[in-house]
Amino acid sequence: METCLDFLSLLILVSSFVLVSSKRISSYITAFKMQSLVLAVAAGLLGIHNLFVEGLPDVLILCVFIVILKVVYIPRLLRTTYQKVEYRVEKDFFLNIPISILICAGLVLLTYFCLYNLEGILSGHLRFYFMNSLSVVLIGLFFMITRKKAIGQIVGFLVLENGMFTMALLSYGMPFIIDLGILVDLLTAVMIMGMLVFRINETFESIDINRLRKLRG
Amino acid sequence: MNTVLYILIQLGVFVLLAPLVNGVIKKVKAFSQKRKGPPLAQLYYDLSKLLKKDCVISDTASWVFTAAPYIFLVTTLLAALFVPVTVFLQPFSFQGDIILAIYILALGRFFMTLAGLDTGSTFGGMGSSREMMIASLMEPALLVAVLTLGLHSGSTSVFAIMHKGMEGVPYLFHPANILLFAAILIILLAETARIPVDDPATHLELTMVHEAMLLEYSGRHLALIELAASVKQLFFITVLANLFLPLEVFIHTDIHTIALILGLGLYFLKVMALTLLVALVELYTVKLRFFSVPNLAAASFALAFLGFIQYFVVGR
Repeated sequence: METCLDFLSLLILVSSFVLVSSKRISSYITAFKMQSLVLAVAAGLLGIHNLFVEGLPDVLILCVFIVILKVVYIPRLLRTTYQKVEYRVEKDFFLNIPISILICAGLVLLTYFCLYNLEGILSGHLRFYFMNSLSVVLIGLFFMITRKKAIGQIVGFLVLENGMFTMALLSYGMPFIIDLGILVDLLTAVMIMGMLVFRINETFESIDINRLRKLRG
Repeated sequence: MNTVLYILIQLGVFVLLAPLVNGVIKKVKAFSQKRKGPPLAQLYYDLSKLLKKDCVISDTASWVFTAAPYIFLVTTLLAALFVPVTVFLQPFSFQGDIILAIYILALGRFFMTLAGLDTGSTFGGMGSSREMMIASLMEPALLVAVLTLGLHSGSTSVFAIMHKGMEGVPYLFHPANILLFAAILIILLAETARIPVDDPATHLELTMVHEAMLLEYSGRHLALIELAASVKQLFFITVLANLFLPLEVFIHTDIHTIALILGLGLYFLKVMALTLLVALVELYTVKLRFFSVPNLAAASFALAFLGFIQYFVVGR
């Protein structure tokens, strides 16, 4: 069980590296989808474990919600948004990919150093999950600031949220209601951001956030 | 006596099995395209035919050109000696021999790139410079991966790593090792001129890397280079097979000869499985634009580096 969760949390981290190394919008939406799928598998495993050991079905319900929202609905929403705005092949990032991958490796190192000396509840497997998910949060944040397109920033935000969710899920877990609330929040946030992308596209004729600096009367 | 036997078995396995690996990869690719493909032993026929033929050597070529194929083959076989095919052989192992093996391979590559430059043909020079770029990109990842394995087992000798892998928890299930496996798989594809980096089937001058360097070679020399290239491929496959899949745990016999034979059979199966994996990766990926190769190298480095970090977090 714990080896499995170790492996899944590691896969979530690796998928965020895949995200950073992908070039096109459609490929990073796919990367996000894969990451959510891994998260859903982890939640499913934990849910089944909880159901049979403690008789609580809440994590399993959460898993269903993750599959519906993060694996199916939000990627589709992003894809339709991306198809509706006019798209030209442009250079999408401020830093080139090898450098951003190396910086992300540096971020992992940073979290490792921050968490290594923490004792107390953070021991063994828990520290491992914590390290992986905190790195995912930082990588999501980094992804947000390196991409020029608005959709890239939405995906970065979602990945950041995935990281926090993993952290909560694999440690002691949050109350069920709060987890659900976060998911609904996320859905609203993504819908609003999708609208915003349309608006940006209408006003500036591109979703390149560099152009937002120009003033328009 | 034991050492002589070891060298004989090791060289025999490498030289005889290496062309077959190429044949299997080609066969799998052909099947996926609904062709029959060349016979499995095609590379053996090619080699024996090439060995009978004369070499054509350019007037402007220096001694490097004629010496390079021999040096390439000898260095590759020498490197192969450091990676025992099964744990039941008693190899000559010492601290750091895997690093030595990697740099012996680098020596062979150095002479190949020199030979590519030697005749002064444009394609040779282009191939050499590309080969050097790929090599320098892949080397950090390979070393980080190998040293992490060394950290796990407390030794940088291949034999010790293989022995350590047979103890305790299944080795591949350690999360770090999956990352290292993936990293070395990417390096294998790059080092042996496989598809995401170089296309072994093409003879289109603008895209080729490995082929461009040996464009000027013919006859005996070409046969040596082809053999050395396939041995190098088997070297990396063996590294993957023996360091990450220590299945020899399951062999329990007291008689050493039987254990050795079973070990060789198991090695053959592992190599075939990994060959299949390489062929599948090659089927499902496209050749990268040359300037995207750094991205691949960075990904491989990141994987190896994550594996390295996991070692400190989880420990063994």
